[in-house]
Amino acid sequence: MEQDKLRTRVFIALWSAFVVLLVYLPLACVALASVSKGRYFAFPIRAFSWEWWEKTTDSIEISMIVENSLLVAAVVTVFSVVIAFFGALAFARYDWKGRKLYQKLILLPVFFPQPVLGLALLLAYSALGITTSWMTAVFAHMVWIVPVVTLVIAIKVYGFDPSLEEAAFDLGASRVEVMTNVTLPLLWPGIWSGALFAFLLSWGNFPLSLYTAGADSTVPKWLYAKMVAGYSPMVPALGTMATLAAAAVLLGGALLGAIVKKARAA
Amino acid sequence: MTDIKDKKPILQLVGVRKTFNDFAAVEKIDLDIFEGEFFTIVGPSGSGKTTMLRMLAGMEAPSEGNITLHGERINDVPANKRPTCLVFQSLALFPHMSVGQNIEFPLKIKGVDAATRKARALELMAIVRLPASYYGKNVMKCSGGERQRVALARALAYDPEVLFFDEPLSAIDYKLKKILEKELKDLHRETGKTFIYITHSLEEAMVMSDRIGVMRAGRLIQVGTPEEIYAAPVDRFVSEFVGEVNVIELKREGEGWRGVNLPGAFRAAPPKDAPQADSTFVVVRPEFMRFLNDGEEADNTLEGVVYNEYSLGSRIQYQVRVGDKVMLVELSRSNALPAAANRNVRLGWDVRDAISVKA
Amino acid sequence: MSNAMTETTLAGAPEAARAPLSARFAALWAAAGVRCAVPVVVLLAAGFLAPLIAIFAYSFAPPRSFDVFRAFSLANYAELFSPDNTVWLSFAWSIGFALVTCALLAVISYPIAYGMVFLFGRWSSLVSVLFVFPLFVSENVRLYGWVLFFIKNGVLDGSLKWLGLGGAPEVLYTPGAILAGMVYTYLPFMLFPLTLGLSMVPRDLIDAARDLGANRFQIWREVEVPLAMPGILIGMLLTFVLAIGAVSEAKILGGQSVIVISHDIEIAFTYAQNWPLGSALAVLVTAFIGALTLAVFARLDLDRLLGRR
Repeated sequence: MEQDKLRTRVFIALWSAFVVLLVYLPLACVALASVSKGRYFAFPIRAFSWEWWEKTTDSIEISMIVENSLLVAAVVTVFSVVIAFFGALAFARYDWKGRKLYQKLILLPVFFPQPVLGLALLLAYSALGITTSWMTAVFAHMVWIVPVVTLVIAIKVYGFDPSLEEAAFDLGASRVEVMTNVTLPLLWPGIWSGALFAFLLSWGNFPLSLYTAGADSTVPKWLYAKMVAGYSPMVPALGTMATLAAAAVLLGGALLGAIVKKARAA
Repeated sequence: MTDIKDKKPILQLVGVRKTFNDFAAVEKIDLDIFEGEFFTIVGPSGSGKTTMLRMLAGMEAPSEGNITLHGERINDVPANKRPTCLVFQSLALFPHMSVGQNIEFPLKIKGVDAATRKARALELMAIVRLPASYYGKNVMKCSGGERQRVALARALAYDPEVLFFDEPLSAIDYKLKKILEKELKDLHRETGKTFIYITHSLEEAMVMSDRIGVMRAGRLIQVGTPEEIYAAPVDRFVSEFVGEVNVIELKREGEGWRGVNLPGAFRAAPPKDAPQADSTFVVVRPEFMRFLNDGEEADNTLEGVVYNEYSLGSRIQYQVRVGDKVMLVELSRSNALPAAANRNVRLGWDVRDAISVKA
Repeated sequence: MSNAMTETTLAGAPEAARAPLSARFAALWAAAGVRCAVPVVVLLAAGFLAPLIAIFAYSFAPPRSFDVFRAFSLANYAELFSPDNTVWLSFAWSIGFALVTCALLAVISYPIAYGMVFLFGRWSSLVSVLFVFPLFVSENVRLYGWVLFFIKNGVLDGSLKWLGLGGAPEVLYTPGAILAGMVYTYLPFMLFPLTLGLSMVPRDLIDAARDLGANRFQIWREVEVPLAMPGILIGMLLTFVLAIGAVSEAKILGGQSVIVISHDIEIAFTYAQNWPLGSALAVLVTAFIGALTLAVFARLDLDRLLGRR
C-alpha cells in the first residue's frame, strides 16, 4: 500500500517538476539571449556581456515606455481594487436578488478572448470619437482585470463571518466604523493579493494594450513591435528586465504582506 | 454470554507503532481482537485512536510491528484489498449518488449485475430500517439518522468480516443516539460480525461493547470488559474517564496513612491491597460516599460544608467543601439530604469501596 | 402626490420598526449588495457590453464604410458565408487548435492539480505561485523564448550540435508549434479551475471508496471526476474559449503559416481597413463563444465552487 502510494506521489511530483521546468524554460532562454554578446543569438553562447542591458537602460525611448507601463499599471490597480472590493462584497457577502446573474456576468470578460475584446473596444472608442491613448488602455485593462480581482477578493470574503459585522453593529458601531474597524482589516489579505494581481496583470498585458493604447506604447507592445521587425538583442534584454521586475514586485508584495500580518499578530 | 477467551482471535496487533515525522501517534500496541466481538477503543481526542483505526482499516501502514488477520500479516494490504470496512465519522456518503447507488457502490465495484445489486440494496435497507421508498432518494436530502443507516448499509454491502466505526454517532442528538446505539448492538448480534468501534465517550462504549480498550497518549492502558473497567480502573486517568470521582492522595506516615491536602487531623484507614510505595491514590465513586448521622461511623470520615447540589434526574449530587478540596456525594432522590445548603456535614466511605490506583 | 407620499411613509415606518432585528439587517444588506454591485456593473456595461453592441452595429454597415447606424446592409455576412470565401478555414483551424489544446491541457494538468490538492501539503502554495507567475509576463515574451529555444542555432539546435547529434528538427513555423504554444500559454487557465474542482472532493470520500474495494481508476471515474466536474467544466471552457481567440501563438511561433480566426479579424480591422467585415467576423466568434459560455454557466453554482475552501 505504502509502495503504491509512494509511486503515485513520486510520479506526480516528478511530473509537476517537469512541467514547472518547461514553463520556465523559455524565460531562461530569453534571459540567456539578453546577456550574450553580439548582434545575433547563437547557442552555446560564445561570450557573455551586459552590453544590451546597458543599451536598454540607457535608451530614452525605453524609459518612456516603462513609465507608460508603470503609469497604466498603477492607475489600473487603484481603480480596480476599489471597484473590485465592492464588487466582491456583492459577489460573496450580501444576499440580493440577481446575485447569481451578477456572478456570471462578472465572469464573462474573463471567458472572452482578449484580442477580440481589444478590437471591439477600439471600434467602440472610434465610434464615440475617443482618441486612444494610455488612458483608454487603462479602461480596457480594467474590463478584464476588475473581474479577476473581484474573484480574488471574493474568495476571501467567503471565509468572512458576517456575524462579526452584525456584532459590531449591535455594539453601536456606525456603517463606516464597521467597515474600517471590522470588514477592511479582516479582508486586507485578499485586497492586498488583489492589488498585486491587478498591477502585475496590467504590467504584463499585451493583447488589450496592442489595440487600445493608440500612439502610446507599453513594454509588451514595444517588445512585440521589435519582435516582428526582426531580431534585436534589446528584446530579450527588456523582456528579462520586465520579468525580473514582475518577480520583484511579487516577492516584495508577498514579503510586505507577511510582515504586516506578523506585526498585526504580535 | 460465551466467554470471549474461548474465541479465536481474528485481528492481532503485535508491537504496533506509528510515527508521523518525530511524533509517535501510537506506541507499541499489543492486542488481540476476537471473532465476533464488539470491541471499543475509547480515549480523549489526540490519544491515537483514530490513527489506530486507520491502520486496522488499511489507510495507514504501521511504522513498526505487525497486524495480522486470521494469522496472516496484512500490514501492506491496501484498504481496497482487505475484508474490512470503515464507517467514517463524516460518514463519507457520496453526495452525487442516491441512497440506493451509495449502498450498491461496493457491489458495482465488484461487478455485480444491476438487478442483483438492487435486490441486495433493498434487503440491506430493510436490515438497517430504511424504508424501500428511499432507494432513489438523494442522500444529501436525508436526515442525520437516515444518513447513518445508509452508511451502515453501504458498509454491510461490502460484506466485510470486520466493521470499523470512527465515532459515527458523535454529531447526533442525544435521543437519536440512544436509539442508534441499541440498533447497532442488535445489528452486531444479528450479523455476528466483528465490530471495532472508536469513541471518546465511555458511556457509549459501556452500552455497546463486549470489551473496551482505553487509550491515552498513544498507549493502550487498559483492556477489559465494561464491568472490569468500571470496577477496577487501572489508574487515575481511567477512573476519571469513567465518570466524576473523588480522588484522594494518601501518604504513608509511620504505620498509618495521611490524606494529602485534607484537614490535618485526617488519618486514613490503610487502603485495600495497600501498595509498597509511600504514596498512592484512592478513588471513591460519589455513589459510595455517604453522609453520616450522629454516632454513625465509617472506615474513613471527613467534615465539610455542602455548597452546591445538582439534580441528576433520579439522583442528586452534592458538592462538599472539605478544606481546599471538593468532594462529591451522590444520593438517590428518595434519600435526599434535607436543607442541604451550607449545612455542616460529616461524610465517610469504607475501604472496600475505595480503589487504589497508580497516579 | 405629497399626500400619498406621507401615507406610504406613515404606513411603512411602523412596519420597519416592528420587523425583527434580523429581518431589518437582511433588508439593509439586500440594498447594500445592490449598491456594491453598481460600480462593477457600470464598468462592464460600458467596457464589455457596449463594445459588443458596437461591433454588432458595425457588422451591418456597408462594407469598407464607417457608416454605422446610418445604413443597414447584410453584405458583410453574405461575404463571409459565400462559398468562395476561405474564412471558414481559419475558423476550422481555431476550433481544431482549441479542442486539442483543451484535451491536452486536461491530461497535463490533472496530476498537478491532484498533487496540489492532496499531496503537496504546505508546498502547494509555492507550486501555485510558480504556475501563476508566468501570467504576469506578457505572452509574447514567453513565446519568444520558445522561438529562441527551437530556432536554428538556438538552445536546442546548438546543444544537439555541440553533443554531436546533428541538428534539431524544424519545429518552428508549423501548426504543431502553434499548438504547443497554446498549450503552454493556457496551462494556468486549466490548472487552477481543476484545483478548485478537486478541492471540492472530500478526502474521506476517496478513502471510503478505496475501503469499499475501488481501485485507483474506479475512484477516479466514480468519485473524483463527478465531484470535481464544475472545476473541470470551467477549466475546459476557459481554455477552449481563450484558445479560440488566440492570435500571438500563430503569429510568433507559427510565423503566419496558419491564419487563425482572430488574425483574420485583426487583418480586416487594420490592413484591409474593412471594419464592417471584421465586425461581422467578430460577431460570429462572439456568438459562438457566448453560446458555449452561457450553456456551461447555466449549470454552475459559483457559491459552491468558490465558497468551499
